Amino acid sequence: MKKLITGAVLLGAASTASAVAPGGPNCGWGNMLFSGQSGIVYHFLASTTNGTSGNATFGMTSGTNGCSTDGTLTYGGKAMVSAMLDEFSEDVARGEGDALTAVAVAFGIEADDRATFARVTHENFELIFPSAEVTADHVIASLESLIKADPQLAKYAA
Amino acid sequence: MKRILTIAVVGLVLSNPAQAQPPQPDDYLHQAQALQLAHDPVWLNLLHYDRHGSPDAPRYSSQVDDPRFFLASGGQNDSAAELKATVQALFARGPDGNEHAQCRFPARAAWLQEKLGFAPSELPSIACPEFDQWRAIVKAERVTLIFPSYYLNSPSSMFGHTLLRLDPADETHSEWLSWAVNFGAEVVPGDNSIFYAFKGLTGGYPGRFNVEQYYRKIQEYNRDENRDIWEYPLNLNSVETERMVLHLWELKEIDFDYYFFDENCSYRVMELLEVARPGLKLTERFDNTAIPIDTVRGALDNGLGSGRVYRPSKASELKDRLRHIPDYLHPRIIALSHDSEEMEQAWFRALDAPMQARVIEAAYKYLRYRQVGQARDAAAAKTSFTLLKALRAHADALTREDVIAPGPPDLGHGSRRLSIGLGQAEELDYLDFGLRLSLHSLEERQYGFLQGAQINLGNFEGRLDEDGHLRLQRIDLIDIFSLSPRNGFFKPLSWKIITGLEREWIGGRERQVAHVTGGAGYATAIAPGAQIFALAMARLEHNSQFAHELEPAAGLHSGLLWHFDQHTARLELGGEKFANGVSRRRLSYRHSLALNASHALSLGLERHWGDERHATRATLRYHYYYAP
Repeated sequence: MKKLITGAVLLGAASTASAVAPGGPNCGWGNMLFSGQSGIVYHFLASTTNGTSGNATFGMTSGTNGCSTDGTLTYGGKAMVSAMLDEFSEDVARGEGDALTAVAVAFGIEADDRATFARVTHENFELIFPSAEVTADHVIASLESLIKADPQLAKYAA
Repeated sequence: MKRILTIAVVGLVLSNPAQAQPPQPDDYLHQAQALQLAHDPVWLNLLHYDRHGSPDAPRYSSQVDDPRFFLASGGQNDSAAELKATVQALFARGPDGNEHAQCRFPARAAWLQEKLGFAPSELPSIACPEFDQWRAIVKAERVTLIFPSYYLNSPSSMFGHTLLRLDPADETHSEWLSWAVNFGAEVVPGDNSIFYAFKGLTGGYPGRFNVEQYYRKIQEYNRDENRDIWEYPLNLNSVETERMVLHLWELKEIDFDYYFFDENCSYRVMELLEVARPGLKLTERFDNTAIPIDTVRGALDNGLGSGRVYRPSKASELKDRLRHIPDYLHPRIIALSHDSEEMEQAWFRALDAPMQARVIEAAYKYLRYRQVGQARDAAAAKTSFTLLKALRAHADALTREDVIAPGPPDLGHGSRRLSIGLGQAEELDYLDFGLRLSLHSLEERQYGFLQGAQINLGNFEGRLDEDGHLRLQRIDLIDIFSLSPRNGFFKPLSWKIITGLEREWIGGRERQVAHVTGGAGYATAIAPGAQIFALAMARLEHNSQFAHELEPAAGLHSGLLWHFDQHTARLELGGEKFANGVSRRRLSYRHSLALNASHALSLGLERHWGDERHATRATLRYHYYYAP
């Protein structure tokens, strides 16, 4: 099992890109905002810092549980957005930040259009994050529809 | 000379147009033998061979502890056989696909091809879908050396850590989505830290490389463990980077012996850099210990890079933000982080818009900081969300400054210390000398180190007195002191653990005792750079003069630590009482003057009260710091 996990980590993104099955509930896309980490996982992580704690970070993986991306998202896609949901929400609230850039890149948005992406998401904060219980699935769906609706970003819609 | 001739001869034979037959694998094997490729440093690096024996008849053994890494049976200890098996396997028709040597060992293949000069068309054409897919995803044109800073709460991370980040050529890419290459022990879930350290020291865990997106490392270090990260962009070019990435693929799921001190994460990272740039000699100076920050210095000293980037932890970020907010508002921020309705109160509405934005930001960050490591809490999530919406509403008024970086760790004093001193104890003059293997004491130059973190492993002190007596004065095997001031926001425990040999007055003379001493308590800041502390202590001492040689004791340890300019004052008062009634008290003062990163002076005064007698000693020392 141990071996399996490490191998999967190394190959994680590869299988993400190739899998076709839609992500299930185990994928962690149902991850809510402010999910934090469970105590046990956190303890394990803290006590084995240099170890290959790998994708166990949130009890979710980028691709090893049969998660997949669709055509719009690259770089580990939905699982990635889900894993950085907290950082992303803070960046959207501010209108800038590393997580915001990472999500823009994952949507394939070119450097010149990222300021527009930042503005559009910032202006639509409450649409993307309607409540504290919002899930990654909803966030991604909202982003997709915002991209489609914006004249400058529409070219990035799948 | 003989070798050059042979090369020339082989070269002539191979380039002879009259030769009808294209060269066969056997021809290349002869050529490899003539070129002595099995002894070539590049080949030795690719196979992680250590050299033993005499220079004339070298023997090799690989640090890779995994039969899947070798194509020859016995390849782990036979460089020539492995080379032969590799050449043969590259030319072999099978096995098909991903398992073919061309797919599994692309770095070996590329190097042999370059050295032996065969054309790719001479090799059987093999498809490597797994490798191709991986290579398409792991975009790597540049490499950054990453140093997550010291972390006292885990023995495995006390000395920091190193890993590599692979970045694409595009400067506008997101570093969060770059790939982190990490070497670590394969830890069995459930093992705790102490056990980890023990097994790690003794090679009880296999070590492996893994590759994951860098944002996970940011989350792990900056958020979960609140460690600052230092990034050192390296000047490897795309060819060198490619060579390293090809070799990385060869190490997929491959087990190494993992040792905490020498063949650790940092050692393996250095090996990867040596593969990337043949001729680099980074690992040879770390035969005994590879302290992560010393390996970073080694890389920089070898011209691999010069700049650095600071990525503050969540706690550092919060502390930095709080500096911009007047102290009287700090309790309000704490209240706001618990109850978002504080924003309706008069105190909040009285603030101007930029300060309101700062206060909301700090309260939000503090609440999220507190939630790290906790399961999702609905009430905290609700407050977080309200603050987040408020942050969005105030975003235009928010001024954003970069967090002020502390001293970079590579510019701190060297981790090894040599000391020499003159002292007097009870009318007896003595010469005092010492060696500390690593790393840092509280009274030393703080620049580049974690504040309040004393981490010493392997400290030895000897003494030669005026009567010509030479003796071992003390050994500190482990000496860790975590001193963190508490305030409204941060509530850390201060703690200390030390074990080794020292001398105590008993039975009319100073005798060597072995001990384990530990304790915990609180520290508080009393002025900028100054803090006081008090710890409850427990001690177990082995003392030949006790009726029971092993005696427990309870005690107290308190003091003041004050840093000002290049000076540090450390005043300590402590004592303990043993179960057998023996009691001791001691008062010590140490004053240090750091001249620069390599030289320091210190004065130590100690007064000791025992049941039988009192003792005083004073020592003036000079310290020289260096990186091994």
